[in-house]
Amino acid sequence: MTAVREAFVLPVMFLTVVLLGGVRIGQTIRLMPPPLIALVLAMLLLGILVRSGALAPDRLMSPERSALENLSGVMVLGTLFGASAQIFNLLTPEYGLLHVAFGVFFFVQLATTLAGVTGRQNVLRSLLVLFGSAFVLRFIVLEALYAPDSGLVKRVLTAVLQGASLGTIEYQPNAPATGYAAFATIAIFMTGLVLLPSSSRRSHHHPALREAPPRGELLLLAIALTGSAFTQAATTGEAPTQSAAVVHTDRAV
Amino acid sequence: MVVEPTSVASGFSRSGARIPVAGSRSAPRARNGTHTAQSSPVVVRVAGLAVTLLYGALVVWLYAAQPQTVAQVTGGLTSSVGAYRVDPQATEDALAFFRRDAFPESRAAFERADPAHQDARTQFYVAYSYYRQGWGRVYNDDTLFRKGLEAVDLAISLAPGHRLVVDDAMLGMQTADELRAELERGVTREASDFNPFKVFRPRK
Repeated sequence: MTAVREAFVLPVMFLTVVLLGGVRIGQTIRLMPPPLIALVLAMLLLGILVRSGALAPDRLMSPERSALENLSGVMVLGTLFGASAQIFNLLTPEYGLLHVAFGVFFFVQLATTLAGVTGRQNVLRSLLVLFGSAFVLRFIVLEALYAPDSGLVKRVLTAVLQGASLGTIEYQPNAPATGYAAFATIAIFMTGLVLLPSSSRRSHHHPALREAPPRGELLLLAIALTGSAFTQAATTGEAPTQSAAVVHTDRAV
Repeated sequence: MVVEPTSVASGFSRSGARIPVAGSRSAPRARNGTHTAQSSPVVVRVAGLAVTLLYGALVVWLYAAQPQTVAQVTGGLTSSVGAYRVDPQATEDALAFFRRDAFPESRAAFERADPAHQDARTQFYVAYSYYRQGWGRVYNDDTLFRKGLEAVDLAISLAPGHRLVVDDAMLGMQTADELRAELERGVTREASDFNPFKVFRPRK
């Protein structure tokens, strides 16, 4: 990673996300600071990035780097944390049951990603889908449903929803400009994630799974297993289907 | 700086940092013999830190100040360096309207004079206009009084040391504290509200 990217590009991109992530444009402009749940989700997201290798902290801070370089790395990590918190702040409704529901949805989804998804590309793809889905829900579906100039059917539907939830579902619609700003914010954030210094290791799979064995060894193994299967079949009189399946499984691995 | 083992072919150190390779595009070029190999990244990093800190401070200030218009953003920034000025002509117009009891007109002119809401004296007059417009012999207009409270609170927060005295002989209350107390009394329900002699009280 070049010094320009580390010292200028990434901090400026992430600070822009911090700035735009709280912008709500309505009759007035409001700047919403992140709630506590957004800070928790941001920590979780950082954990996912580090675990998947999308972020290599040792390339930002390590004893081998000078104090200035480490300070520069701290700035990148700090602004990345702030930007992550603001992304969740941006995509989560501010009040009521929807705030709780979105928070739980993000937490479960991130925990699943942390547990199951490995590899830089997979994690970035997963995050893009997560943020894209939340963006559609928040800024297209909810905004259309709660728009002040919406039709009679929508108003009846929202009134029924509010009544059924005993008033816990409340949503304050924003001007369309908020959605455009949110789209730009997510795009900047995802670009920043792609530009982060990643781990030099290609994947965190088990070493046996990481590198495919040479084709010659596989061929020898297949021949040996098939031969032993036919030998077994000749002695017992059964078709060698199970052993062949084992060979296929091994090859797939 | 610690020298790391590096591969000349790849140009990367063990920690992953890019090491300038002679002849490569990222290697700093020597100009007139004054440009050392180490100075360029150091300058970039120091400049980057400065830009990041300034930008971060701006973001924190914006979230703390919560400006609602672009005028408030620019006004707040110029005010923080002591360069903010109200429009004297608009202020004169506003005071003329105020003295003629044309309060909405005076507020419009005050808005023109102080678009960023950064001048304590102007905001005091705005609050006073809400007081005079909302004042009633039998009852007060609570909505206008609440707007007056917001304006006087802003004026107090902008005044140096939170002390604001306006030397204007035609005002019944010349300090922001008096005005605030009067506005608060106006929106508070109490037994004295039912005193019939209250109709004889003067407007300040």
